Amino acid sequence: MQNAAPVVEIDNLHKSYGPLEVLKGVSLTAHEGEVVALIGSSGSGKSTLLRCINMLEVPEQGSVKIGGEAIRLSGKPPNRHPADEGQIRRIRSELGMVFQQFNLWSHMSVLGNVMEAPLHVQKRDKVEVEAAALEMLGKVGILDKAANYPSQLSGGQQQRAAIARALCINPRVMLFDEPTSALDPELEVEVVRVIRLLAEEGRTMILVTHDMDLARTIAHKVVFLHLGKIEEEGTPAEVFDAPKSRRLQQFLRAADHT
Amino acid sequence: MTETFEFWVSYLTNGRHLNWYASFQYTVIAALLGGAFALLFGIGGAALRNSSLPPLKLLGTIYINMVRGVPDVLFFIFFPLAFEQLVELVIAQSACPAGGGAGVWPPCPEANWFLGTGEYLLLASVSLGIVYGAFTANVISGALNSVPRGQLEAARAFGMTNWQVLSRVHIRQMWVYALPGLSNCWLLLIKATSLLSLLQITDIVRGANLLGAPNFSRTAGVIHGDWRWGYYLALLLFYILVTYLSEKAFAAITRWASRGMPMAERV
Ligand SMILES: Nc1ncnc2c1ncn2[C@@H]1O[C@H](COP(=O)(O)OP(=O)(O)OP(=O)(O)O)[C@@H](O)[C@H]1O
Ligand SMILES: [Mg+2]
Repeated sequence: MQNAAPVVEIDNLHKSYGPLEVLKGVSLTAHEGEVVALIGSSGSGKSTLLRCINMLEVPEQGSVKIGGEAIRLSGKPPNRHPADEGQIRRIRSELGMVFQQFNLWSHMSVLGNVMEAPLHVQKRDKVEVEAAALEMLGKVGILDKAANYPSQLSGGQQQRAAIARALCINPRVMLFDEPTSALDPELEVEVVRVIRLLAEEGRTMILVTHDMDLARTIAHKVVFLHLGKIEEEGTPAEVFDAPKSRRLQQFLRAADHT
Repeated sequence: MTETFEFWVSYLTNGRHLNWYASFQYTVIAALLGGAFALLFGIGGAALRNSSLPPLKLLGTIYINMVRGVPDVLFFIFFPLAFEQLVELVIAQSACPAGGGAGVWPPCPEANWFLGTGEYLLLASVSLGIVYGAFTANVISGALNSVPRGQLEAARAFGMTNWQVLSRVHIRQMWVYALPGLSNCWLLLIKATSLLSLLQITDIVRGANLLGAPNFSRTAGVIHGDWRWGYYLALLLFYILVTYLSEKAFAAITRWASRGMPMAERV
């Protein structure tokens, strides 16, 4: 993976909410075709880190590069913001984000959800987009639900629709924030199957997860975040079978029991 | 028999009645136009109040809270008069010789702004819009806040512009939360159209009063006694009909707005 081009480069990220410092200098790189799993206990800053990648949260310090292009920020903290709205929108339209709570747009059909950004953000051709959207829905296994509204789907189907929505923008990288945490165990399986499929396709992904088994089997690199810092990182074998830090050992022991 | 029929036909189609029928149309126009203005001011006021810029937020809050507290009757007499005189003041700056006509209004005849029914109707609609826009703004600002944050965030995460997020997701989803409150505002607005006579428009209530009052004529003697109850009954039926049609319309809009919305599925 080290030879492949870096897709996401995060350098020395700091982020606070008021007095609470959530990220304390995090650096992380995801290369082309690499699957990076982010693990860590609740509140360690995993979601915040992910949301800083597309500037849903703007870090006080540090930089993010997508495909070698640095996201330009201006202003002094706490009013730091993207310097160029056009740039941030273009970059966002190339990052496929999947949320824990799905966040499908409830007033649009599943197909409408998948076609929305390609049509109205990327301004692609309607015929081409519809074909692509149907293909993505087929890939995640809910082609028969294309005309339904999200509220008519099970949680697992909604999350797969959300994955199709993210895939349809032809993202450089997929960002998953605990995609299975809101699901019952039996529904989790079908979403995990789709995520495995994407990993096998060689997609670049950054995946926040509590599912250690998933992280172990699909990740090339596992990153353990603790109190806003990267406590340990390495291959799944290094991190899961030979954890060095006490924190990680404790965390894995606790994770085994859930 | 035919004689009484002919009497009713000619009575109900005499000039005063035709004027009265025409005033129904003013009522309907004022209500529809006023409703459109109210919606416009409502969305604007809500956007101001929910703005992150303190001066805009303050402006929105002042509008919503002040106007809602002022009795609408007072506002209906105040706003058109103030507006008319303001326009006349502006005209007077150029049209009137300096210092002329102290103590009279307008300062000189040239500055007199003559308002016809059309102008008054527009002023009335704007007045209704301002007053009920404040209520509407309150409803809409609450509804905007009810739209799940996550869906707005998803819209931003996919690269939508602020305007796209607002129009394609935020406002589109706001309706389902706002419609019950908006339907209240609309019915209150319809009722307020009975105050149109304050704005120099022969409204239907005043017309009913005049037509129904005991009617004498020097040549024919008593034409009819106190028939106001009949005219009031007609008004009652008119307002009930309008309310009924409004309910129908709101039901249809609600069906559109709640397609796919989670809270609607449960119903
Ligand atoms: N918008 C916010 N305002 C204030 N505090 C926040 C905000 N978002 C997150 N936090 C706080 O920042 C810390 C890190 O939150 P974050 O969501 O990144 O954790 P996480 O690692 O994703 O946790 P989880 O596994 O529970 O999702 C938490 O203490 C959280 O309460
Ligand atoms: Mg989280």
